[in-house]
Amino acid sequence: MFLKYCVRCVLPDSKPDLHFNADGVCAACQAYENRAAVDWDQRQEEFLAIVNRYRDHTNGRWDCIIPVSGGKDSTVQVLKMLELGVRPLCVTATTCDLTPIGLANIENIKNLGVDHVAFSPNPVVRRKLNRIGLEEVGDISWPEHVGIFTIPVRVAVQFGVPLLIWGENSQNEYGGPNAATSSMTLDRRWLEEFGGLLGMRVSDLAETRGISVGALAPYTYPSAEDLERVGVTGLFLGQYFPWDGLSNALLAQASGFHSWETVIEGSMVNYENLDNHQVGIHDYFKFLKFGFGRATDIASLHVRRGRLTRRQAVDIITRLDGKFPWTYLGKPLADIVGPLGLTVDEFIAICDRFTNTSLFVTDKGGALVRDSLGNLTKLSYDNVT
Amino acid sequence: MQLQVEVLDLGINNLASLCRGLREVGGVNVRTVASASEATGADMLVLPGVGAYGAAMGELESRGLTEVVNKHVASGKALMGVCLGMQLLGDSSEESPGVRGLGLVPATVAKLVATGDVRVPNMGWNSLEPAEPARAFPTLLRPFDFYFVHSYAMVPDDEGDVLVRCRFGDTAFVAGVLRGNVLGLQFHPEKSSRGGLQLLADAVAWAHG
Amino acid sequence: MAKHRVIPVLLTDGVSLVKGEQFHSWRTVGSVVAAARVFSMRDVDELMLLDVSATREGRCIAPAMVKSVADCLSVPLSVGGGVATLEDFEATLRAGADKVVLGTAAVRDPQFVTAAALRFGSQAVVVAVDSLADDADAVAVESGNTRVEMSPVELAREVASAGAGEILLQSVSRDGLLGGMDLPTIRAVAGAVSVPVVASSGAGEYAHFFDALSHGADAVAAGAMFQFTEQTPRGARNYLAQRGVAIRMAD
Repeated sequence: MFLKYCVRCVLPDSKPDLHFNADGVCAACQAYENRAAVDWDQRQEEFLAIVNRYRDHTNGRWDCIIPVSGGKDSTVQVLKMLELGVRPLCVTATTCDLTPIGLANIENIKNLGVDHVAFSPNPVVRRKLNRIGLEEVGDISWPEHVGIFTIPVRVAVQFGVPLLIWGENSQNEYGGPNAATSSMTLDRRWLEEFGGLLGMRVSDLAETRGISVGALAPYTYPSAEDLERVGVTGLFLGQYFPWDGLSNALLAQASGFHSWETVIEGSMVNYENLDNHQVGIHDYFKFLKFGFGRATDIASLHVRRGRLTRRQAVDIITRLDGKFPWTYLGKPLADIVGPLGLTVDEFIAICDRFTNTSLFVTDKGGALVRDSLGNLTKLSYDNVT
Repeated sequence: MQLQVEVLDLGINNLASLCRGLREVGGVNVRTVASASEATGADMLVLPGVGAYGAAMGELESRGLTEVVNKHVASGKALMGVCLGMQLLGDSSEESPGVRGLGLVPATVAKLVATGDVRVPNMGWNSLEPAEPARAFPTLLRPFDFYFVHSYAMVPDDEGDVLVRCRFGDTAFVAGVLRGNVLGLQFHPEKSSRGGLQLLADAVAWAHG
Repeated sequence: MAKHRVIPVLLTDGVSLVKGEQFHSWRTVGSVVAAARVFSMRDVDELMLLDVSATREGRCIAPAMVKSVADCLSVPLSVGGGVATLEDFEATLRAGADKVVLGTAAVRDPQFVTAAALRFGSQAVVVAVDSLADDADAVAVESGNTRVEMSPVELAREVASAGAGEILLQSVSRDGLLGGMDLPTIRAVAGAVSVPVVASSGAGEYAHFFDALSHGADAVAAGAMFQFTEQTPRGARNYLAQRGVAIRMAD
């Protein structure tokens, strides 16, 4: 099957939640165009008004919680809030396979001058969940996706700090609970719909895979009562400030953030997704299921912003996107999947299970064709007329 | 010693689930056989079935598999018929008058009658009422439901051949038969989740013994 | 005792899992195989896979996709989407479907239903009756895009007597809205035929299932409810069992 690609950027319509209009322009490009019409000054005022509403001038509590991974975006989230004279509590939900550079970047955030809490879920349980996520829904990062929401929200409840400051809201065309519409809270329904859970839920594991309910505490959302009592809500900075990953990288680097020495495997840049060795696998499975990987996402962002032409983007993607993840940030695949109890061959068998064969070149017998490095080739890297 | 199991392929239905279910039992070597020339004298034959009685018997004949089945049973080896495959074990069926079945279990096949609040075809999960011979298959004695999808059911001549029944509206139909080395199951064990897979394990154990 | 079934529905555009709303299903939400595996983990009674773009694109649902879903399951699978010929029907069964759902093709030509029933058995033939709206005297074909002047009851009667073994009753206006099901139409259709009726479209909470079953449905199906709310097939079965409905309790 030939994918249909946006005529402006290079995102395909197989991307979850991406709408194309009648002219073949994707919703992300349309949303970007609409940025010009946004009154960003007014948005900033709204933002300040909300922050002030939650600012704690007495009692020595924190004004807000900022979930931070150490990456370029969370570094900028912290910089912005510090600029406003806000006292944040930074929360890191420790990632699956923390890299040395990732650790350095978390330390860098602390040294911007903030209180910081790291919650590291039980790594033995975590590795089980990585494996289950990989085998059941083709997403090794499933526990990560859950944890980056549940852990900061649990901290919010535990420390009694209601306002969470997230970065970009990739779902902003559908909205979501936002402090501006203050009656909504980040409830489970929102998490189910927008949290990218691929349908698998924490309750499935406790009921069917014999992992005790207690072991899943970090991945469990606080109760509705607790959320309401504390009044937990969140806002997305991307709603109030024109968000740009590369600008954030520059700002972050100017404040001590480290990037990688070369373009990262599977990507086309060196300044993001530096904290978790498993990300290469996560991105590869996106390619297998939907026919596009990390390079496509990033190329599309830069085309939208006029830094690359569409033609250049198509060329880059054809050469870089969806490569088999033999290493990530230099760590070999065997060392990444080994701790999960998998061999590379077992990993490859799981890849095959989730590969959408209709998108890739196959031989006469219907088997996928791989090059000498194990890479697949898509049937089309651009629209077929 | 691995049990050699051959599943007869009549060209209509998909055998992947059945083969997968049998393999999961362990200690089993499963292959499909589409004609007499492919049969290699297995320990256990499985006769699945989807579709109509007449068409299925026609396929069995034209592929030379009727002979294979009869020889296999005559030599004392185990035969398991599933769904339509169970009905083919009998003498005839209302569904295709005039067509002769395998005649391995004295029985006719009649259309289900919908009484009470049930409908025909019988589609869905139902529990079983085990008869005495069911003791050889421990899973049948546990409170599992099994998946049925059929409009006809076997009516054995010999009460002693009845393995399990299934309550259906105001009546009950025969949902399983056992006559010597011939086993018939009206429901689909390979589509009945964990209970079904456990029953396949029982059937393999029975074939071994 | 015969049990009622709770059936999750997966919609696809041929590549990905999509979400439907009033039969418009542009929104890709994930991977079909991943969703099938999750439901298999949850030990559902049965699963339904429908390709909602197939008819419009002039093709039948791809056997490779059917196989990839069937390989995840040890419970029955019903499959539909662009099945228009006996060859399509057979290919779909061979790829792993236990039952095939006919839509547009059955409405346009009831004799196709008869031919399929004769060749493959009524129990393998499911016909979708897509009611346009509550109280409507019309049904839809082509994934909700074309109106046909025939009431759901008339269509159901016609295809049941043509040989369909099961009716899948859907509602274009209620699809994906989680607002409840069209109970009067469910009752009317269930009362008009003697084959099982699967009620679908509109379920948003467990009570909706109870209502549909009380109105004569043999089984209930839901897409959006299981994928986008906290509710699960197991939760549905527990709820229904508590309200006295004969339902399979998974181990």
